[in-house]
Amino acid sequence: MNNDTKKLVWEPPFIQPHRMGEINKFGRARLHDNSKSSVYGVSVVELLRRFGSPLFVTSEKQIRTNLRNTKKAFERRYGSVVHGWSYKTNYISAVCNIMHQEGSWAEVVSAFEYEKARALGVPASKIIFNGPNKPKFILERAIAEGAQIHVDHLDELQLIESIAKDQDKVVAVVLRLNFDTGYTEPWSRFGFNIESGQAHQATKMIALSSHLNLTGLHSHIGTFILEPRAYAEQVRIMCKFMRELESNEDFCIDTIDIGGGFASQNALQSVYLPPEQVVPPINEYADAICTALLEGTQYRRQIGRELPRLIFESGRAIIDDAQSLICTVVGTKRLLDGRRAAILDAGTNLLFTAYWYNHQVHTTKASEGTVADTVLYGPLCMNIDVMRHSVQLPPLSQGDNLVFSPVGAYNNTQWMQFIEYRPNVVLVHENGECSVIRMCEDLSVMMQQDRLPEHLSMPFPDTSAMARMINSGTIARRS
Amino acid sequence: MEELLSRTGGKVPSRERLSQLAVSETGFIFDPQTGQSFSVNPTGLVVLDLLKRGSTLDVASSSLADRCGTPAEIASSSVEAFILQLGRYL
Repeated sequence: MNNDTKKLVWEPPFIQPHRMGEINKFGRARLHDNSKSSVYGVSVVELLRRFGSPLFVTSEKQIRTNLRNTKKAFERRYGSVVHGWSYKTNYISAVCNIMHQEGSWAEVVSAFEYEKARALGVPASKIIFNGPNKPKFILERAIAEGAQIHVDHLDELQLIESIAKDQDKVVAVVLRLNFDTGYTEPWSRFGFNIESGQAHQATKMIALSSHLNLTGLHSHIGTFILEPRAYAEQVRIMCKFMRELESNEDFCIDTIDIGGGFASQNALQSVYLPPEQVVPPINEYADAICTALLEGTQYRRQIGRELPRLIFESGRAIIDDAQSLICTVVGTKRLLDGRRAAILDAGTNLLFTAYWYNHQVHTTKASEGTVADTVLYGPLCMNIDVMRHSVQLPPLSQGDNLVFSPVGAYNNTQWMQFIEYRPNVVLVHENGECSVIRMCEDLSVMMQQDRLPEHLSMPFPDTSAMARMINSGTIARRS
Repeated sequence: MEELLSRTGGKVPSRERLSQLAVSETGFIFDPQTGQSFSVNPTGLVVLDLLKRGSTLDVASSSLADRCGTPAEIASSSVEAFILQLGRYL
């Protein structure tokens, strides 16, 4: 076959002018094929044939492995450790129950999440109730059932006390703290500030109440924290506060909850280096935290008091790489600046975190054609629906598939129901079987919450029906 | 080509103008008239070669459709867009 008859990969013909100063040393095409024809051991073609596109694919084995490795890292160093599964990270029921089967408690932040955990069968004693908005009805239930309540602000503390009085109970509360570690932007909107004295004021209120008992301290210093020393500083500050409390008031703190925020192998858009170079292994987090905790609680060992239980609420680091999103190219185009672009059947409606992460993108067949800078758009009629602003990909054609990963954190909870149905979410079981763990939406799902007043039951009522509605005063006559 | 010119109002480069271009086998193009250089993708290289040899738009389109196994109408509209793009640069 000579050059004139050799088959070519289809791509619209295109000429690109060379412009000085537009190429930099990082703009090179990738050197190796990074296609993947299977996800978690299951063929992409087979998954799409059975469950359609787009499709979230979740790995049970990866979740269990991540969780076991993370817990082991902490237990080996400290002993009394509880993992609270952060429901907001991914609250698909099957995902939650995998976590619970591995021994994780539920960490919930709203009435819905509390009700969901209870509906799944999680005992209230294994629910950590966080969050700034806990309406009275759900607090009454959580207190009656014995959940672990983390207090966010003074009004909430007063509400808890009044419910405790009504229920004639002494309620154990955990105080949420905020402070400056010097490493991360302080999250001062949550909890009570230590430096300003708010936290001390709250502990005084608790000490004076006959219906409240302070049993724990909690703080969450941020998300995607790449510096383990930030956690060491967090623990040092919390332990110092605990020691002050225990020496001045009649408190015995049995829980230190450090929140979550460990980074996953994902690429935050503001971080220059790739995740494999900047994300610390979980053992480094565990080492920093447990070393600081053992030092900070040494005084308790000296007086023969038990060490507090350590709770961590890691979400992203456990689930992120256990889920991928498969989608399909619905069309391609050239942008005015010469870059390739593709429109996909999945956009920021499904991958909300694409707004601040550069997820890895894999083709599902070996690369053919020249790799070039490509923009990936979603299906929404919004200019900001961009899955990747710049990614090196071979020429794409209608019907090609792409795999985005890791996507397990915050997408199945923050996704939007905007103009599109949400797709199936499937689980690859440990034995390789696949099953749907969240059904795709259809019209009935979308309309089931709508209610039509009788006079709006028809989109185009006939003249006599309109006249009846006007005569009865249901709708006003227009001049 | 003339039909394309009248239909779109865009500038369509002549065969003589195209024949001035130095085109490598890998798709590197040098325009000695302006000193500009370009890269053309593999399908563009095929079309450019055909146009330089005097092929009509229809011939270039059907030839490309055959080489790529793509529908003729898609190839035809893409070649039209390519020729208009050449007209903007040359």
